[in-house]
Amino acid sequence: MSLLRRAVPAAVATAAVVALLANVRSRPPDLSAKPVVSDVPEPRRVSARPATVAGRVRTGTGQIITTPFSVIQVRVTFTGKQLTRVETVELSGNGPRTQAINAHAEPILREEALEAGSAKIDVVSGATYTSESYRDSLQSAIDAARG
Amino acid sequence: MPPVASRIEHVMGIPVGIDVRDEIARDAVDRAFAHLRWVDATFSTYRRDSAISRGERSPAVAGVLERCERLGAETGGWFDVRATGRLDPSGFVKGWALDGAAAILAGAGARNLCLHAGGDVLVRGERAPGRAWRVGIQHPLRRDRLAAVLGARDLAVATSGAYERGQHIVDPHTGKPPVGVLSVTVAGPDLGTADAYATAAFAMGVDGPAWTAGLHGYDALTILADGRVLSTPGISQLRAASTGLSNSSRTASM
Repeated sequence: MSLLRRAVPAAVATAAVVALLANVRSRPPDLSAKPVVSDVPEPRRVSARPATVAGRVRTGTGQIITTPFSVIQVRVTFTGKQLTRVETVELSGNGPRTQAINAHAEPILREEALEAGSAKIDVVSGATYTSESYRDSLQSAIDAARG
Repeated sequence: MPPVASRIEHVMGIPVGIDVRDEIARDAVDRAFAHLRWVDATFSTYRRDSAISRGERSPAVAGVLERCERLGAETGGWFDVRATGRLDPSGFVKGWALDGAAAILAGAGARNLCLHAGGDVLVRGERAPGRAWRVGIQHPLRRDRLAAVLGARDLAVATSGAYERGQHIVDPHTGKPPVGVLSVTVAGPDLGTADAYATAAFAMGVDGPAWTAGLHGYDALTILADGRVLSTPGISQLRAASTGLSNSSRTASM
């Protein structure tokens, strides 16, 4: 963290930040949100690896985003031209929390809408069902069809 | 290719299915189920006579608890075998039991197999030459529907959600069920680990997807309560493999 804080606060690659935010938020930012909280807490978990590329380290902080469940802020770090770290700072809930994740692959998370489909499948992964609820499960239908 | 050996038995309070597509020794499936019954007798928190209920600390129990401790550390405390107030390693044990059963079958020569246990899935090889196993991800709101289909070879898939056994996963920090998330599916090489990661990510609620993006060797698909599906890049490749479009492609992280 201290390294990041000392990092030169260079101009942010705005387009990249916006692209990231698009992956995280569910609706347009709440413009009435309070100003940026300056004292960002320590990450509760840091999984970022050292950058594999050399270059100047730059960090940028995005707008505050209000989702139905939380108020979050995204901070990104570039090493040279490579996006090397993303931190999601949650500003609501049980006090500020920070999530830091790797960003070697783009996009970090793909977003789509939940759809209900059907297909020929061999097996179903779902939340634990017991022997009692098995007969109501998709898996039991598959097993019955298999004979 | 039809199963050469296929059987469902109820063990550990859940139905367990074994489907082997190779000719193997006749008793290998028996031994795989015997292993699952041993795991149940040792680790079931529902059985007062199980080793874990009696407080016994055999090398097997100690080994499992050690794995759980490590998974607790890896997940920043979000996978917690004491989250409900008593020792309950079931979140890891079910998947770990299937990993063991698969190893027994592999030892008997099974290269193409599919195991399932109460919603956990483990596949090895293919369902037929050149054809990946098709693993459906249960739609969390519609029991008869799928939210996604993965094409899988040598993959473990575990899903945690609030839609089957009620709210049985709690945030270990608050003791309350997470909000904002319907289910988390984790796919990777080891089912016990996938199970623990899915439990942890589900407990994190809306923070889960960001955490799963930092996992090494495991991919995740999270369905949020607002209808958004957030998945790590490897999931897209697994989904494409289910249609046969990229028959030989594998996720880069595996």
